[in-house]
Amino acid sequence: MAKLNIPPPHGGELVNRVIEKRDYAESMAAGAIEFDLKPTTLPDGTPIRHVYREIMSVCYGFFSPVEGSMTSTDLEGVLKERRLESGWVFPYPILLDVSEEDIKSTGVKEGDRLLLKLKGQPFAVMDVEEIYKINPEEVATRTFGTPEDNPEVVREPFNEKHPGYMIYKLMNDHVIAGKWTIVNPPKFREPYDRFWLPPAECRTVIKYVKKWRTCIAHQTRNVPHTGHEALMKNAAYTGDIEPCHGILVNAIIGAKRRGDYPNEAILEGHEAVNKYGYIKPSRHMVTFTLWDMRYGNPIESLLHGVIRQNMGCTHHMFGRDHAAVGEYYDKYATQILWSEGIPSFGFEAPPNEVDKGLKIIPQNMAEFWYCPVCGEIAYSESCGHVDQKQKFSGSFLRGMVAEGVMPPKVVMRPEVYKAIVKWWKVFNYPFVNKKYLENLNASLEVDLEPMEVPKA
Amino acid sequence: MPVWRLTLSQWRYQKLNGVIKMVHYIGVILDESRYEQIKGTEIEEKVQSIFGGALKMLVVEVPEDKSNQILKAFDRARIDSRGFIEDVPVAFRRAVFEEIVKNKSLDIVDKVLERLSEIQELAKKEDEYIPPPEIE
Ligand SMILES: [Zn+2]
Repeated sequence: MAKLNIPPPHGGELVNRVIEKRDYAESMAAGAIEFDLKPTTLPDGTPIRHVYREIMSVCYGFFSPVEGSMTSTDLEGVLKERRLESGWVFPYPILLDVSEEDIKSTGVKEGDRLLLKLKGQPFAVMDVEEIYKINPEEVATRTFGTPEDNPEVVREPFNEKHPGYMIYKLMNDHVIAGKWTIVNPPKFREPYDRFWLPPAECRTVIKYVKKWRTCIAHQTRNVPHTGHEALMKNAAYTGDIEPCHGILVNAIIGAKRRGDYPNEAILEGHEAVNKYGYIKPSRHMVTFTLWDMRYGNPIESLLHGVIRQNMGCTHHMFGRDHAAVGEYYDKYATQILWSEGIPSFGFEAPPNEVDKGLKIIPQNMAEFWYCPVCGEIAYSESCGHVDQKQKFSGSFLRGMVAEGVMPPKVVMRPEVYKAIVKWWKVFNYPFVNKKYLENLNASLEVDLEPMEVPKA
Repeated sequence: MPVWRLTLSQWRYQKLNGVIKMVHYIGVILDESRYEQIKGTEIEEKVQSIFGGALKMLVVEVPEDKSNQILKAFDRARIDSRGFIEDVPVAFRRAVFEEIVKNKSLDIVDKVLERLSEIQELAKKEDEYIPPPEIE
């Protein structure tokens, strides 16, 4: 096998649509029609998505080659075969959805420039290319698939219990399409700021600081237990002529649900893995991407591939039930996609073997469990003591944490547990509860500096 | 073989073919003080040692109709990949352990279900505050 190198960004070039210089930013924003960004909410008012996260991920290049809210042609291509108009693979609709009332009150029309405001401050501008109507329920259904249309992997029709389906179903029925440019870059609060490494900088760090030629990505939205650690360490043995040089942990940070671990504990829990030497920092790095997780299993895995290829990873580990909730998809849907393709979703072959597909290489992994006979954390495809296995369970661990029992170090590293307790003391609660959600939904992950925009 | 030891494919096969009646489980972690309370009783023999002896646990079997009652009573409760009922309130777990001690038996699901409304009341308070452990 030939030696691998960092793959090019998806689509060939990293999107970078952020203006730091105030003068240029002000001149771009001058005279634009102001529009306040709002979260997508459940009927009871609970936010389930904030489009600001998508604008950040687009403008900083995580979603390259997507540059903004999709046109109707892009949207149709994505829903039909997961391809942009340009032909590049992309899994999800990225849309600035607005109500008819928003269109009337702003008077916005094609050709106008919009100034998108966040937390009362100017945030980004967009040149309106198209305004069109959608049927949100249809978008939701086509995004995730149906048992009839996608029999390879969809097992149950999507419904209101699926958080990702609801994100699309509850969208407004008008879309403003156009490219986004951030004119007032938000500042991340502690501890997010330490883990914010957009693709351009991440590639530079990988190449010149860490000096990794190969790097495998680990998707997370959880505090790591030793099963995750075993997955990371073992999956990293893939590579080319030697194991991967690095492991890039990339947490998905977005709308939360009660019972999740707080974002702060997730990031610092993963950081503890390298800080305390379980995987040394020269080989392990923690970062995040803003995105309200859609729980789209195979569809989500495509987005993960896009993000991590853009960040500079050569490989991506995929486990069972990847980014899944409920039993809508086959447990191995992601692995089916990356090993043989899913024709009904537009993949006659795996996403890294199709034209204008991804360059990142999948590493499909089975599971790890504790085996008392082997006396170690064992790989399910190696260990023959199947009837003795003791599986790791995130919810089992959450129960232990809630009862105030320190998990044994064979299951969770003490320093990882301490990261949980550190934020438990801050929030008076080990998990996301109503109060945490209220705070997060009001303040988001960022603050914006005041910015005066010259009127037209 | 207990259901929670089966691999996914074994489980699917057996469920599809009606070999197994669905049973779920509640795992009760035993720290030292809890272990003291059951030491010397017939329950002690049923203690399972997991993760290389790092953790002691009692496993209570819950028939499917009763696990459905539990899932209904607590909005975040779920069955995990091992077939265990998880994400239940701490108050629920405490009640399970109390009934085990009181009845010196693992066949206590009905007793716990009788206390459901009391447990739900306690669980509400848990939604806002759980005291953090004292570790440095
Ligand atoms: Zn073994």
